[in-house]
Amino acid sequence: VAREQVLVFRVGSALYGIGIGSMWEVLSPEGVSSLPTPPHQVCTALAYRGTRLPLVRLGVLFGTPGDRVLPSARVLLTQGARHLMGLLVDEVLEVAEIDPQRIMPMPALASVLGAGLFRGLVSCDGRVIIVIDEAGLSAMPEVARFVEG
Amino acid sequence: LAAQAQRSAGSGDARKPEQVVLFQVAGKPFAVDLKHVERIIDYREPTETPRRPPHIEGVVEDRGRFVAVMNLRKRFGVAGPGPAHPAVLLLRGAGPDPIVGLVVDQVMRVFAVPPDGVLSPPPRVFGIRAELIRGVANAGGRAVVWLDVAKLLSTTEVITLLA
Repeated sequence: VAREQVLVFRVGSALYGIGIGSMWEVLSPEGVSSLPTPPHQVCTALAYRGTRLPLVRLGVLFGTPGDRVLPSARVLLTQGARHLMGLLVDEVLEVAEIDPQRIMPMPALASVLGAGLFRGLVSCDGRVIIVIDEAGLSAMPEVARFVEG
Repeated sequence: LAAQAQRSAGSGDARKPEQVVLFQVAGKPFAVDLKHVERIIDYREPTETPRRPPHIEGVVEDRGRFVAVMNLRKRFGVAGPGPAHPAVLLLRGAGPDPIVGLVVDQVMRVFAVPPDGVLSPPPRVFGIRAELIRGVANAGGRAVVWLDVAKLLSTTEVITLLA
């Protein structure tokens, strides 16, 4: 069975995963915390090697309380559908191996966010990991507007 | 009464008794069609999912599937904590997902509703609109609200259970 490695991270109390194939780098969030960003804005700017990339604040997107950047927070520099983007997470935990065939769809009733943001849910060592779809995230209107603007 | 019963019986042969599962929420008796109930499982803490409606507690894993869990107390706007050991009805063929978990306070029993044992509901029963109800069933002398779970799971309207 072909296994897949996912980077497991925490946003709020929930565990999420992202395929490491799309990961470029894990950055500490210096420069992010000082940006004046309205509390409910999902997408903000990330300065990276002289360029300006979209940064998706997953805590805001996922409705997790807390508007300050935690000391454990990290930025996952990730390849989206057509562009690089940063994902601001509360904590990076580990790299886990999963069987991609065991990723089951997120039930429609379980979240009001579009199903395109998630590859689904997978059980791993007794925990449930919500596997996100980086292409779907990068295609969100908030991110697309940032890139075009 | 017979005409009302026939109107409210919906699809299928109105002369045959229909099996329902009786349960309680906030001290009130409710029923759902037995044909929608795959199994009844013990409550276990769900995994929280992002941006879920207030009455959705998250998901639980069951036989390799992930099932959204709806708390009927919260769906009905009932304040205060529920029982320490609620039950979860796993419902299939109702709502947008293949299967969904419905948290109820207590499951009572399976009951066969005779064709003349169900009345069309008034416009609202306990504050629930008649459109979300199959009827008011007579279960051994007790009036039971027979929910239309497919409609209940497909609507986002606010429901407030009246005392």
